[in-house]
Amino acid sequence: MPKLIIDDITVEVAEGVTVLEAAQSVDIPIPHFCWHPALGKAGACRVCAVKLLDGPIKGIQMSCMLPAQDGMVVSTVDPEAVAMRQQVIEWLMINHPHDCPVCDEGGQCQLQDYTIACGHGLRRYDGKKRTHLNQDLGPNIEHEMNRCIQCYRCARFYQEFAGGTDFGVMGSASRVYFGRFEDGELQSPFSGNLVDICPTGVFTDKTARFRARYWDFDMAPSICPECSLGCNTTPVARYRELLKISARHNDAVNGWFICDRGRFADKKVNSFDRPRVPLVNGSSSGWGDAVDAVAKKAAEFAPGSIAVVASSRLANEGAALLPDLARALSGAKLCFFSNEVICRASITAASQITPHMAASLDDVASADCIVIYECDLRQEAPMMLLAVRQAWRKGAPVFLVGKGAPLEQAAAVSVEAVDLDIIVEAPIGIFDRPVIIFSTMRSSAAEIKNLMAAEAKFAPLFDGPNGMGMAKLAAANSTISLESAVKSGLIKGIITIECVIADELRGEIPIIAALDWQMNSSVKNAGVFLPTTAWVEMNGTFVNNEGRAQQFKKVMAPGIPVSATLESGHPPRIHSLDVPGGEPKPAWEVITEIMKRL
Amino acid sequence: MIPDTLKTKLKRRVAAAITNREAAIDVMKSLQAHYGWLTDEAVQEAAEIVGLSTLQIEELATFYEMIYRRPVGRRVIHACDSISCWAMGGEALLAHLSGHLEIKVGETTADGAFTLLPCCCLGNCGEAPTMMIGDTIYGRVTLESALEILKRERGEI
Repeated sequence: MPKLIIDDITVEVAEGVTVLEAAQSVDIPIPHFCWHPALGKAGACRVCAVKLLDGPIKGIQMSCMLPAQDGMVVSTVDPEAVAMRQQVIEWLMINHPHDCPVCDEGGQCQLQDYTIACGHGLRRYDGKKRTHLNQDLGPNIEHEMNRCIQCYRCARFYQEFAGGTDFGVMGSASRVYFGRFEDGELQSPFSGNLVDICPTGVFTDKTARFRARYWDFDMAPSICPECSLGCNTTPVARYRELLKISARHNDAVNGWFICDRGRFADKKVNSFDRPRVPLVNGSSSGWGDAVDAVAKKAAEFAPGSIAVVASSRLANEGAALLPDLARALSGAKLCFFSNEVICRASITAASQITPHMAASLDDVASADCIVIYECDLRQEAPMMLLAVRQAWRKGAPVFLVGKGAPLEQAAAVSVEAVDLDIIVEAPIGIFDRPVIIFSTMRSSAAEIKNLMAAEAKFAPLFDGPNGMGMAKLAAANSTISLESAVKSGLIKGIITIECVIADELRGEIPIIAALDWQMNSSVKNAGVFLPTTAWVEMNGTFVNNEGRAQQFKKVMAPGIPVSATLESGHPPRIHSLDVPGGEPKPAWEVITEIMKRL
Repeated sequence: MIPDTLKTKLKRRVAAAITNREAAIDVMKSLQAHYGWLTDEAVQEAAEIVGLSTLQIEELATFYEMIYRRPVGRRVIHACDSISCWAMGGEALLAHLSGHLEIKVGETTADGAFTLLPCCCLGNCGEAPTMMIGDTIYGRVTLESALEILKRERGEI
């Protein structure tokens, strides 16, 4: 392990670690643009210059390109290194338009930070600046090439890391241009990461353009609710409106990135049509009356004739209360899953898997063999596909097993995969760290049991952000699927908790009450509706597909966005001392209220 | 559209390469020879033949100065403006060519005979200043010999 001295601090790091990372490990910041923890070095920006005073190498060196070696004496504050960084940043800024006031990156811009950190405060260049024409990159990403400092992060991420082929770097010398062959929407399912990874404002989130500055943001650490992987995110809100979502770093889960589905998903939270007030028989009501109505209606049903139905959208805090609610409803049937096959598959996967057998996204990325069994990761877990690509880049073969695992998913990240008909054709046994990816929505309990007998790690996919949590709770309590509860003929009424029930499954059975934050058929048909908060409006916990419980924090208070307008073009006029639309409460709180009255 | 014979020949060239990408320049140069410059259509065709995206072909095409993404004259003059040639009078040579042909650097003569482009190093530094017309390289070019060369090159056309 090399031991070196950086700014009089002795640092010992692992073999192969760069001087830049060694400095970061003892909180000595060195400006950098092209180096990124996930992408490594490029040596393109020249801004991380340090001076080596003694040891095997001497003089000015790029700290991101230099592996730490025994006996190095590094100075980040040597006048020569400081002068070098100052001149490099001045040179990088030559063509920059200085349009920070109209740039969404302003206030959270690495280029701003490092320009100031490197001491370039006065522009001396008064020549003509190089300018570019921008491209239309689709509805999600705004392109402003004039701001570019040629760090190559975007092109390296897009093509090397994410396997995209329609975006890259063209031209040479001062004409270097990052874009597409022609205008058009970026094709990679991970294109939104350009927004996060660009150290300046070349790529910004078009969906939230000109809406707020960094210091105005309401934000908190959160978890993506779009699939069961539990990618870490930072949602951004202002004036009661969810504006955008960016990736939050977590090496064990999503690394530095998230997929476009998670980032640009339709922001239903903001919807003006979202049901926000308690309703009894379709008319708005106070919380107290509405909860009373639920208790009163439920009392009309015979013991054991009510089904309490939840889905994997529900956070653990609410889900954990449901067995108590079912008991309080004189032995209501508890259904954590609607579909019988998915229910049994989910419970089987969750009960069989041990922490030792579960593969995190990081385990997938470092696997030496990948089997994707009967599922399409583009639909069910896009970030898993990105992890698969990282394993493939390191040499792992990728096997797609079954008709449910189309080759197109591998093509989406430029991975060459082997198509197999049955699992036994995959030579899992000859590898040290194989991972089998399967979906509880596509494979039966028997298939899963069979699969999990293999010597491998497993990445099960569930039908929602808390799928594993729901399956664990379903296994630990006496639960059945709604499908078999209905088949038994005993069910005469249903209470839904953040759950949509297919009309053909429900038939004529009335919905006594629905708790939800989205408009759907359960809400429309419910006798009593109780509004719950969305994940960004509450604290809670989701258990992701590998069994990792992850907390999400409240980003914003519920309420109708200030920007909401009616068809007439006017904002809604709601005369109240309270926040308009501020009624929703976390599901666990509503469930507790109901239980108090039973 | 390129003739099928050329397409087949180029596909064979790609099949003989260890990686598709390494054949990209040969393919682009062949298409350029066919069309006179690398047209948008040629980029599409190259992408199909090599098995890369149009963007990936464009990345290579715009990086290399001898792949022309705009129409050029029948002969392209590449006059070196890199350090060795500059030290040996390359700047004066380029200005002289520009004045004689009555075009600015980057332009094509009215008769479509020549396009004048600066380039960075032809690997002929020992013979500076140097220039290349079509596929012929000329070293130790003087202002006088440059006009001779142009005359000869024009005569060949």
